[in-house]
Amino acid sequence: MKRPLVLLAVLAMVVGALARAQTRDVIIDITTGAGKRIPILCESFQTGGDRTARETSVIADTVLANDLQRSAVFEVTRSWIGTPSGEMQAVVGGKWIVNGNTVRLQGEVRDLPARRAIFSKEYKGTLRQRRQIVHQFADDIVQQFTGEAGVSQTRIAFSVQEGRNKEMYVMDWDGDGLFQLTRDRSIAISPSWSPEGSLILFTSYRAGAGPQVYVIPSAGGKPYLVSGRAGNNTSASYAPDGREIALTLSMDGNPEIYITDARGQSPRRITNNRAIDTSPVWSPTGREIAFTSDRSGGFQVYLMDREGGNVRRLTYEVGSTDSPAWSPKGDRLAFVSRTDSGFDIYVCKADGSNARRVASGGSNENPRWSPDGRHLVFASDRGGSRGLWVTDLDDRPPYKLNTGGRVAMSPAWSPRPSGPSSPASH
Amino acid sequence: MNPKMRRILVMGVLAMTMLATGCAKKSTQAPPTPPQPPPTRDTTPTPPSSDTSSTVPTPGTKILGSGDFAPAFFDLDSYSLRNDARAALDGNAKLLRDNPDTRITVEGHCDERGTSEYNQALGERRAQAARDYLVGAGIEAGRLQIVSYGKERPFDPGHDEAAWAQNRRAHFVVR
Repeated sequence: MKRPLVLLAVLAMVVGALARAQTRDVIIDITTGAGKRIPILCESFQTGGDRTARETSVIADTVLANDLQRSAVFEVTRSWIGTPSGEMQAVVGGKWIVNGNTVRLQGEVRDLPARRAIFSKEYKGTLRQRRQIVHQFADDIVQQFTGEAGVSQTRIAFSVQEGRNKEMYVMDWDGDGLFQLTRDRSIAISPSWSPEGSLILFTSYRAGAGPQVYVIPSAGGKPYLVSGRAGNNTSASYAPDGREIALTLSMDGNPEIYITDARGQSPRRITNNRAIDTSPVWSPTGREIAFTSDRSGGFQVYLMDREGGNVRRLTYEVGSTDSPAWSPKGDRLAFVSRTDSGFDIYVCKADGSNARRVASGGSNENPRWSPDGRHLVFASDRGGSRGLWVTDLDDRPPYKLNTGGRVAMSPAWSPRPSGPSSPASH
Repeated sequence: MNPKMRRILVMGVLAMTMLATGCAKKSTQAPPTPPQPPPTRDTTPTPPSSDTSSTVPTPGTKILGSGDFAPAFFDLDSYSLRNDARAALDGNAKLLRDNPDTRITVEGHCDERGTSEYNQALGERRAQAARDYLVGAGIEAGRLQIVSYGKERPFDPGHDEAAWAQNRRAHFVVR
């Protein structure tokens, strides 16, 4: 039982260490140009082949337009009709070649009005990977225009209410490929992805002994116990290098924050306070931890270094705050603030200043950043039913993710996939 | 936690509760009576851990069910035992003294106005407060197990104060 867990933990560490190398000195705030998007035209893909090829191109048209629109970088138009020709900055399209089970996409982007090719790339894979190929093309287009790849190949892990129970699910960001990860007939909440995306930590009551922390392969598989100590074992999250886990344990009689190794061993306590300390999340450098405490009465988000020193309250601008989430570039934090009937979501700078409300109306919980920091996914009961919503942190209203009518909550956004699993390209 | 510390904690909690009630009485005269749940509520939403089949019946005595134990209700964000909660726990302590073979799980529950993670911590404190009171009343700690459900297993699915008041509780399940 132990061996697969060890292997998974080692994998998480190795890939996490690679991811850690990309630390930036200059951070360009990509969200301040509120509402400003690049007008782009998505032409229908060409295809020379049979019915499967035509079907592939039709699906690809929709997936690509959806990906580019959701990127929050582009304003997508799908037809020249009614479009003032001077406004479009680029046109996106290409050709599908389908040969049995093998598909190829020759994708290209041309500027307007000159129609000069500014990007072209061939993608290859199996018929089953065609959506994945389109996502990769979309992420490359975003990279071409912004310098940083998009996130359309990412996934969302979340809990679904099933009767009195909550089971963990995973789906692509666009709602495709949804599948059930746990079948425990218990409570599974608070997912957290490993830095390279192969594992998900979560809190489960599956053993019938209160909340315990488990890890499960994100592609499906068996859950392994990471921490089943006496009392509560909750709110676990991987360090950015995948070598450690921050979590809340009450084994010493009071909820405190601990750091363990990637297998949940060798716990090191980093808070020591009679109050409730919980919900630890790491800064992207792994040097600091944001957490919630009610040490000053009501609950508030605090920051501390990874040894538990230099504790300071995040913000004084908003009432009670909880559920911190550090942006992937480290410049901002998202958190919730209590209202009469639930929570609003706020974003502030990492020094606590400039707190701005980004979601209100109904109750809005569990904000989690996309890996490019352009979007937040959160759980909300707006509109009467509980579901997952995304805000692009601009003037536009949030939109609801398609979970096939399931009552969804407690989301977590995956990292970008790491190289090998993506469809081949050249 | 060693027994001495626990005793100090129990006394502290009791003292704080008495202080709090003392203050409250000045302003409000009568403490609000908590809404009593309909009898069915106590038996239906028991978690899977509440399997009563493991309880060995003692000949000649009535077999206690989870529904025989009264829940202890709490104020928002609080794990202090109110007067009505202590009255409920006194009744539960008597039941446990009269039925020395009965072992129970004390579940801590919260309303939905906190995050899942905060409520898991708060629910544990409510369960601890109830357990410590029972231990203070002479019940062996070994007969009492605690589990926090936070806000994950509400007794009333509503979104108003009446529902929230029902959901802030220490709930007793016979093991």
